[in-house]
Amino acid sequence: MSQVIDEVKKNSKAPLPIEPYDKEWGVGISGMTPDPSPFPRINRILEKTERTTNGFVSADRAELVTKAYKDHPGESQEVKCAYGIKYVLEQTPLFIYDDELIVGGLGCDKKGAPVHPEFGLNWVLDEMRDGLMGYSEERTHDYFTFTEDTQKRLEALRDFWDGHTVNDMVQTLVNDDVLKGSHDGKGVFFSDAYIYCGAGHLGLDYERLFKLGFGGIRKLIQDQMAKIDLSDPEQMKRNNFYRAALIANEGSINHIKRYAKMLAEKAATTEDPVRKGELEQMAANCDWISENPPRTFWEALQLVHLANCMILIECSGHSISYGCFDRYMYPYYKHDIETGTATREQMQELIENFYIKIWDLNKLRSHISVRTFGNGGIGGPCMTVGGLDENGHDMTNDLTYMVLDAHAHVRVPNPWLAVRVSDETPYELKIKTANTIRMGTGEPKIFNDDVTIPSMLTSNVKLEDARNYQVCGCVEPDVSGKTDGWHDAGHMNMAKVLELAINDGRCLHCGPSCQRWEKCGKLGKRLGPQTGDLAKMTSFDEVLDSFDKQMHYWCDQMVTLLNAVDMAHQAIRPLPFLSTIMDGCIERGVDVTKGGTDYNFTGPQGIGLGTTGDGLSTIKQLVFDEKKVTGRELLDAVEDNWIGHEPLYMLVNSDKVHHYGNDDDYADDLTKFAMDEYCRYIEHRPNAHGGFFQPGMYTVTVNVAHGNLQWASVDGRTAFEPVSDCMGAVHTHCCSHDVNGPLAICKSVTKMDHARATNGTLLNWKFSPSAVSGEAGRDAFIALCEEYVKRKGMHSQFNIVSQDTLKKAQADPATYKDLLVRVAGYSAYFVELHKDLQDDIIGRTELEL
Amino acid sequence: MEHTNRDGQPVAIITDIQRYTIHDGPGIRTEFFFKGCPLSCPWCSNPETVRPYPEIGVYPTKCMGKQKCGWCLKECPLGNDSPIAFDSDDNLLPVIMRDECKGCYKCVDACPGGGLKLWGKSYTMDEMLKLANQDRSFYERTGGGVTVSGGDVMMQWEFAADFLRECHEQLHINTCMETEVLCPQEHLDAVLAHTDLAIFDIKHIDSAAHRKLCGVPNERILENIAHAAKIGTRIVIRTPVVPGYNDSEENIRGIASFIRDSIGGSLVQWQLLMFRKLGVEKLDSLGREYQMSDYEPPSSEDRQAQLEKLRDMVSSEYGIEVAVGSDGKLPL
Repeated sequence: MSQVIDEVKKNSKAPLPIEPYDKEWGVGISGMTPDPSPFPRINRILEKTERTTNGFVSADRAELVTKAYKDHPGESQEVKCAYGIKYVLEQTPLFIYDDELIVGGLGCDKKGAPVHPEFGLNWVLDEMRDGLMGYSEERTHDYFTFTEDTQKRLEALRDFWDGHTVNDMVQTLVNDDVLKGSHDGKGVFFSDAYIYCGAGHLGLDYERLFKLGFGGIRKLIQDQMAKIDLSDPEQMKRNNFYRAALIANEGSINHIKRYAKMLAEKAATTEDPVRKGELEQMAANCDWISENPPRTFWEALQLVHLANCMILIECSGHSISYGCFDRYMYPYYKHDIETGTATREQMQELIENFYIKIWDLNKLRSHISVRTFGNGGIGGPCMTVGGLDENGHDMTNDLTYMVLDAHAHVRVPNPWLAVRVSDETPYELKIKTANTIRMGTGEPKIFNDDVTIPSMLTSNVKLEDARNYQVCGCVEPDVSGKTDGWHDAGHMNMAKVLELAINDGRCLHCGPSCQRWEKCGKLGKRLGPQTGDLAKMTSFDEVLDSFDKQMHYWCDQMVTLLNAVDMAHQAIRPLPFLSTIMDGCIERGVDVTKGGTDYNFTGPQGIGLGTTGDGLSTIKQLVFDEKKVTGRELLDAVEDNWIGHEPLYMLVNSDKVHHYGNDDDYADDLTKFAMDEYCRYIEHRPNAHGGFFQPGMYTVTVNVAHGNLQWASVDGRTAFEPVSDCMGAVHTHCCSHDVNGPLAICKSVTKMDHARATNGTLLNWKFSPSAVSGEAGRDAFIALCEEYVKRKGMHSQFNIVSQDTLKKAQADPATYKDLLVRVAGYSAYFVELHKDLQDDIIGRTELEL
Repeated sequence: MEHTNRDGQPVAIITDIQRYTIHDGPGIRTEFFFKGCPLSCPWCSNPETVRPYPEIGVYPTKCMGKQKCGWCLKECPLGNDSPIAFDSDDNLLPVIMRDECKGCYKCVDACPGGGLKLWGKSYTMDEMLKLANQDRSFYERTGGGVTVSGGDVMMQWEFAADFLRECHEQLHINTCMETEVLCPQEHLDAVLAHTDLAIFDIKHIDSAAHRKLCGVPNERILENIAHAAKIGTRIVIRTPVVPGYNDSEENIRGIASFIRDSIGGSLVQWQLLMFRKLGVEKLDSLGREYQMSDYEPPSSEDRQAQLEKLRDMVSSEYGIEVAVGSDGKLPL
């Protein structure tokens, strides 16, 4: 294998390793060069890899699940679902590709997306019929092609599923008071994330899976069943769960055996002796791991990929994550090196192949959702490395570095990477991380152990579990394999709450153009409770008091709706396969959707933190402290969308007004107030699957969606502009409100109590490349991150690409089709994003020197 | 020149305070730009720092005009005699009659949109120290501190000397000064007493050429640099290399000889900086013209190549620590 490296060094014009400890290759070897990997095989595979999430619709899964349900009409929902996954795993088409060393997919060809009718089939069929699924002006990216045959086969299933979906049940559980402010109404909050797909958002306990293997899991289920006393009704329920679990388990074993058989057949007809040998080994790997614990790094990695694919096949959930990869894989790495089973280079090549396999997977999304979540692919396959182990020691090892190198070598958007840092993190890892970030692809994100672990303890997570936390999906820390976290289940636009708080519960743009006019405004009603009118308020305390009451009210509505969705999942879509691999479900005899695993949360986010903070600050300063305008004048200006109030618009957007993000206590304290208010009415409220709610403080990209629904706001935002992103400062069409540079941002943002947002926080930084250039720039950047960590900021992500480059890419997408940038929570090909989102990224303040 | 505020307290006139500066001294630094400079280099990229008193910058594109706004006129105490004028009522081009302005700057405070900006705000010692101290955790992590620059900080040497002393004695913060160093030696001594690293410019080694370029001869500058070296100051020398102005090998060799002979072991690094055409917009706002507006420099690739060639020449002939640009780490 060192021949490969020599070959690369000889042929490559790319820079050689740039750090002394990078003995073989550094991230510098890749940068933005063609053929970025040192492995010719990987470069060959990359050549055939689509740099897009456009795909096609596959009908097989939907048909097989439907057949399973029809074949077992009298069975309980759990058992029907178990037959569903079993049918798919045993019958869906499988694919093996040239050069590849890992197998596994979603039961269709690369970039294909299966359909999950359990969460609604009508929208899929309607979009196909109305031209909203394929390429059109409405859908210029993330579009899905389909054949006439596919459409016909799916159309034939329409009646079977109509009226039996999660959404149908949710509608029956709540009333209009709950829905009026939701995604179905005025969009104060959204709870639709899990109405049209599975909850996802979890990782597995890979160590448990490695220890037991699928055969061991089967035995565990059988042992539990043997103890059942059917005369006890509680045990009878558990018995039914075990029946379902056994069916699903059998399906998973057979699925892997199918691959083994197919690989062996392929090997038999392959002439090239090298490839023949590889295929034979892959067949042997699959055959063994179909029932037994893996023995080598290759087998373990193969099992990880297949297990995650099967979860995605069962349920269309987002953010099925890869846990702490460098922890659970390290024993295999060490074993292989020590026994000479594999070299470091061979394992590096496997990891790189594995990344591309993840990127090849795809998920069907509606034309609306891809506007704000563009280029996501399956979305959220996060892999975590580094950090403290269960004894509190830093566990960084070779694999930690190899995971970062692999990203530099393949540069595909998935998997997402998270590096955990603490006081104990070695400086070499910080340099490796900084250098990877400086490539500009937006990977990896940085998570702070010193905040996250204590934060998890407040959610009653055990210390040794908390120390092994993974980053799930975009932002959310949890214990892989032991948490059904319902992270990202919903989100609340705090800026809209402020609007209702200063306008007596009425929307500022109330009028006949509103879809709810007939039911609401026309009848003299208001969207929210009457809690005060800024024009009549005599002190700023009244503003805060009104905000508090509105926040309480809207949090109640959101929690109600999320619990309804939760109940619908339990009734309609139990997850028997997932339940076999999540900790505790078999022991308890309870499906994961019903709270079978150890930790059960629901995590909705607060949106528009900066917009809300700046709004409060503007009101306090201009109306009450300086009395430059009256409350009426300010409300009028916003109602008029600032037209005719230009000087006030400019003033509100200028640095003459206290703004969040400038290390200015005046605005920062009010922003903290807003965040605390949201957390207060979310945290520790009971949820429907046996756990409780956890607040988060990040937007990913829904700040664009919420902004699209909201009229102008007092912070100087015009109508329908995005609200502020994540924990970041405000940037409006007029200008950015943070003007004091990165140190001020670091200090402002860390005045918030990140640990209180137990579902996670996020700060997106954007640097111009020159701000982090050279050794001086690199070390200053590391110092800035260290300080953010020391000040108890939880999580940071970075975009290091100039505004100029982004604008050029927007104008000339063909030339910039490989430009990978950080969106929020994830990285994506910039030109594949919707223009609104592109503009939002361009608008974020670029930190310059 | 010593400035005082209305209460008679000494103040510094500062045009800008940059946090997270990483190229003017080691580590992460906060940099204070003092106003006033005795040189008149045509390529100056911070022209707002040249004149020693506050000035109003006018940014017409950010002005909404008299009819929509006019908040500046409402606040001007001179009323109908206000030196602020608009070409016509709906024209968006404000003009300030600078000679007639009494310098209360109320118009700048009133301007909501950034059409007017004050270059040169007054800061008392307490305010300066508070600003210097606010990012100390970043300095400690990186060996950073404060940098005083300008303009030429020596134009306000009394304040600067006091400020750097307080940074050392009260705050224990690393200090760095960047100066043109055209000043009496005792002024320099007063500031150097609390300077951990000095950054000096040498733009031309030939005094007549220097005078032609920057308006002043260079003897005093070179004497001061040699003196600073002699008393053990750690020194970074910077030469902005402007093609056609000071980029001859002869000039670079001359500077190199001076550095070898007169700075010797006190040199930390000599930095050859690439010329960039900056400062045009700021000059516009001040109602002055960029002296090099017709000048078209060679491409940045060519300039970079030239700097690298000069660097290699100097290091092989003179054995001096020389760098292209200022983003490398300073050697300890």
